[in-house]
Amino acid sequence: MFSISSEAKVGLFVLIGMIILAYMSFQVGQRGFTFKKGYLVEVQFDNASGLAPDASVQIAGVEVGRVEAIRLKDGKALVTLRLPREIKLEKDVTAAIKTHGILGDKYVEIIPGTAGKEALQPGERIERVERQADVDRLLNQLAAIAEDVKAVTGSLSKVMGGKEGVDTLGAILENTRQLTRNLNMVVKSNEANLRAMLENTRELTGNLNRIVVQNDEKVGQVIDNLKTASKEMEKTFAALSEITATVKGGEGTLGQLIKDRQMAERLSKTMASLQEVSDKINSGRGTIGKLVNDEETVNNLNQSLSGLNRYINKTEQFRTYIGYRGEYLLDKSDAKSYVDLRIQSRQDYFYLLGLAVDPRGRRTERESTTNNVTTRTEEWDKQGLLFNAQLGKRFKDFVVRGGIMESSGGVGVDFLTFKDRLKLTFEAFDFSRDRKTHLKTGGELRIFKNIYLNAGWDDFISDQGNSSPYVGISIRFEDEDLKYLMGSVPVPK
Amino acid sequence: MNFVLGAVDYVGRAVLHSVEEAGRIFQLFLSVLAWLVRPPLRLRPIFKQMEFVGVRSIFVVVLTGTFTGMVLALQTYHGFRMFSAESMVGATVALSMTRELGPVLTALMVTARAGSAMAAELGTMRVTEQIDALYVMAANPVKYLIVPRMVASVVMLPFLTIVSDFVGVVGGYFVGVHLLRINSGIFMKNITKIVELDDIFNGLIKAAFFGLILSLIGCYKGFNTTGGAEGVGRATTEAVVLASVMILISDYFLTALMF
Repeated sequence: MFSISSEAKVGLFVLIGMIILAYMSFQVGQRGFTFKKGYLVEVQFDNASGLAPDASVQIAGVEVGRVEAIRLKDGKALVTLRLPREIKLEKDVTAAIKTHGILGDKYVEIIPGTAGKEALQPGERIERVERQADVDRLLNQLAAIAEDVKAVTGSLSKVMGGKEGVDTLGAILENTRQLTRNLNMVVKSNEANLRAMLENTRELTGNLNRIVVQNDEKVGQVIDNLKTASKEMEKTFAALSEITATVKGGEGTLGQLIKDRQMAERLSKTMASLQEVSDKINSGRGTIGKLVNDEETVNNLNQSLSGLNRYINKTEQFRTYIGYRGEYLLDKSDAKSYVDLRIQSRQDYFYLLGLAVDPRGRRTERESTTNNVTTRTEEWDKQGLLFNAQLGKRFKDFVVRGGIMESSGGVGVDFLTFKDRLKLTFEAFDFSRDRKTHLKTGGELRIFKNIYLNAGWDDFISDQGNSSPYVGISIRFEDEDLKYLMGSVPVPK
Repeated sequence: MNFVLGAVDYVGRAVLHSVEEAGRIFQLFLSVLAWLVRPPLRLRPIFKQMEFVGVRSIFVVVLTGTFTGMVLALQTYHGFRMFSAESMVGATVALSMTRELGPVLTALMVTARAGSAMAAELGTMRVTEQIDALYVMAANPVKYLIVPRMVASVVMLPFLTIVSDFVGVVGGYFVGVHLLRINSGIFMKNITKIVELDDIFNGLIKAAFFGLILSLIGCYKGFNTTGGAEGVGRATTEAVVLASVMILISDYFLTALMF
């Protein structure tokens, strides 16, 4: 009898335990080792209820990966999937959350896209998502449908229910049956006749059609002619009978002419002078003659007509914009307001008329030395109302304008970009000796159809402390009514 | 009145006693830790205890494990059949075994087998004054007697548990596939699909902890035995009961902590 040492026994046992542990670990833990490798892709679902991290990701029912994480992003579920490197997804794959098994385990099914398309890179997102069939919503819809069906069947049962309804239906069916039977009999017994009749009718209509088509125009003309002719004749006859009656009685001019000698002489004289006048006109004598015979008159008339035409066209071309702009001067805690009327006579040409309200005014400092005494005067230009009157022309993205700006001479350049959404402006005006030129720069961004945001720097080189950044808002819209008002104002030519 | 006072007195004493005992057990644990790291570490007594705690327990652990797995398969089969989800039997058995039943049943069996033996052994040594003799020989009884038992228990319990897990699943497989005619492929597929590596390892960590509890309580009860042969018997009983209860209580907290 040999004995094994306790070390050997323990060692053997530990070995067996280790082997079992290793075996079990490999059985259950396979994925745990392999799926931490691979790459991640994202997919956004409206609703990921029931989906848990580590849920399986399948393609055609074959598990290829696991759900790595589920996060909320912008009110939607952002699901990260971990897939092994050898699984390549096309860019147009579709992801869907599906259920399998009776316990309703959720998993992500990936429906392959077009073969040969570009592969999805790690970290990219699957764009196509199949909507998950929401059982609750489905049931709601079903309930609504059932309600409708119930209403229909309810009204049907009202109509048909009861003894009366059944009787009526029965009678209707019986009548229909008899009718069809009779009809059938009639048709059957007269089949040959009916056929012949139909054949004849067909021929007849065919012929008629041909005749009408061939003589369509002529017939129309003949009828028209007949109509006018008969009308004219009727009139002629009536007039003739009247004339003859009058002449016969010696009434009227013709009657007198015929009867009266003196009258005849006078008439002939009148005729002669008429002849004379028309001769004069023809030869270009007298006012009317001149008018009629002069080419210039015609030209003038033509010109004035075309001028009128152009004027009308202009009115159509005119575009009139009314705008308000408020600018809040940040350093001054004060606001400037502008009201503009922009008349765009052509696509690239406009007049700008406007008023500006500057409650703060502009400060001017003067130093004057008299008798060795230096006086420093501080003046505030507080013209409540400033005027703008400018002419502008657009060259592609640039607008150059000039004229009166805030009641002083000035020029400005605008640069428009982003399909005219953004306007950058530079203005220079008030070129006065006492202070530096008023320079203003800023931008205007269209945020809605008629609403713009402004920001910039007003009078930024001012040596009088007038410099200030500003922010503002402006409203500008096209005015149709005003345009027509402008169009109807008499314009001196 | 006297009765009420007596009850309060009794409860108070019991609470004080248990708190005191908990403190002493913890003290013993600390001194074991201290003696564990103090050289020389003698491997021979450790291996002897490993053989006793681990190898000699295999049979009983295999037996309980197998039958637990089998009965689990049988019971869950009837439940799952109501939902025609018989394929989940394997996964249920495997999950229950690895997470709970494997570690707990193994620990209870080892408590009954080895924990009681530790208490009886050390108790006898105490009442026959052999422990005092060790002191006389300048050999620390904690290092000489308790450290090997605790190390052996902590190391061996996970191995016993893994054996228990395995035979439990095998028992479940036998019942499920061969007796209840569940498809073997689906049975295994569901096990591998649902059971994770963490389930197994957390079960093993629990088992190691249970090993610590049962050896600590067994040794403590034996080490502090008083009152002759009767005292040894009482110490053994107390050790088994307390260790079992502590295992089940700590199991709950460990589970809550880990899963």
